[in-house]
Amino acid sequence: MKNQKEIEYPDVALNHRSLPSDPELRVRAIETLLLEKKLIKTESIDAIIDLYENKIGPINGAKVIARAWIDKKFKERLLSDARSAIQELPYIGKQGYNIIAVENTKTVHNVVVCTLCSCYPWSLLGIPPSWYKSDQYRARVVREPRKVLSEFGLKLSEKIEIRVWDSTSELRYLVVPEKPKEADGLVEKELVKYITRDVMIGTALVKVS
Amino acid sequence: MGGRFGYGPLNLDNVKLKGHENKSNVFDKPWHAKVWAFAHLTGALGIWNLDVSRRFRESLPINDYVNFSYYEKWLAALTNILVCYKLVTEAELNKVVEETINKQRSGLGTDEAKNKKCTGNPNWDAPDRIAVMKTLGWGGGSVRESELKPKFLNGEKVETIFGNPNPDVKGGHTRLPGYAMGREGIIYAYRGVHVFPDKNAHGFGEEPQPLYTVEFSSRDLFGKDAEAYHKVFLDCWEPYLRRSR
Repeated sequence: MKNQKEIEYPDVALNHRSLPSDPELRVRAIETLLLEKKLIKTESIDAIIDLYENKIGPINGAKVIARAWIDKKFKERLLSDARSAIQELPYIGKQGYNIIAVENTKTVHNVVVCTLCSCYPWSLLGIPPSWYKSDQYRARVVREPRKVLSEFGLKLSEKIEIRVWDSTSELRYLVVPEKPKEADGLVEKELVKYITRDVMIGTALVKVS
Repeated sequence: MGGRFGYGPLNLDNVKLKGHENKSNVFDKPWHAKVWAFAHLTGALGIWNLDVSRRFRESLPINDYVNFSYYEKWLAALTNILVCYKLVTEAELNKVVEETINKQRSGLGTDEAKNKKCTGNPNWDAPDRIAVMKTLGWGGGSVRESELKPKFLNGEKVETIFGNPNPDVKGGHTRLPGYAMGREGIIYAYRGVHVFPDKNAHGFGEEPQPLYTVEFSSRDLFGKDAEAYHKVFLDCWEPYLRRSR
């Protein structure tokens, strides 16, 4: 890289300033242009939105966790090599390629954030919720996780070590929650109902009612 | 962003979800879904890589960055990337924006605006299915076969470098957050050799580097500003790290 001319950053122009302030209109204008230029197709816009609104969601992650709860060997594999463990599950398969599973125990509680943008295991949890993408969450949870978790109604004992995972690379962290006693005897299909998105981010505990 | 002061409580209005049935939380507004879809679909054209698109989102002028909502950032970045890569010109953009505004004023745009989605049905047999599926794995495979061997061992004490680590571009793209620069940590795990965003985001090639998860104590990161003892784990590429002295 020595020959490369040193570049001063940022090298991007501020073109977005020339756009109308109403983002909804701006998006519509860009849509018109992209369709006109045949850079995108209406069908693919619909398909990708449909995919993330209706097909990919926290249910995928919940199935992984439920399996881990009823199958000890699977759980071990999930924690040591989530990529190959998740590939055993036909309904998710390859989408687990970059997952790292981190386990909550009696002494450790994990919580996931992306302070740089909004990285998150999309393939298992769907599009992240607004709060996950908010400046408040991203700024605060690395510095004061207990206070942030308490806003979710989650008060953890001082004895529990909190581990915050900041997703700075392409690795995606999935929290494996503890299985509550009340869940004993439930079958996989029932367990899935209680394993919510927030539980797998680490901002909630499993509640079986 | 990480560790910054001045932010109040979270807005958790939407958080009262039960189970997996409630889908109201996926996109709050139709235009959020649209801008998100456009970013992925144009990304899948293969003209720029994932790190470039992140660079565009993260390099907005600081005033805009803090004032824009999440999807406004996506919109601004999308606009910039389309113009910078010459897929659209500013003149074209201004023209179509003006037309859209006029349409809206004359009431022609209202029906369209109310529609949550486009009029067509999702068509999985369309040739574009490939484009959509591409967006799913887009940027996913960052691991690369490499002869590089990791320099650091698990449990080894390391120090992150101070100042922007990008070797080629002053103030360039990086994935080492400001709050973790010049800090001591411990190698928690080696994760293989991964595409190096600092290079890839500026078109200098993938230049894969060993990647580690590094464990930091909250006190080492934030001093007395950390609320109490906790641990923060970050993924760091080898060029971000030095052996601790």
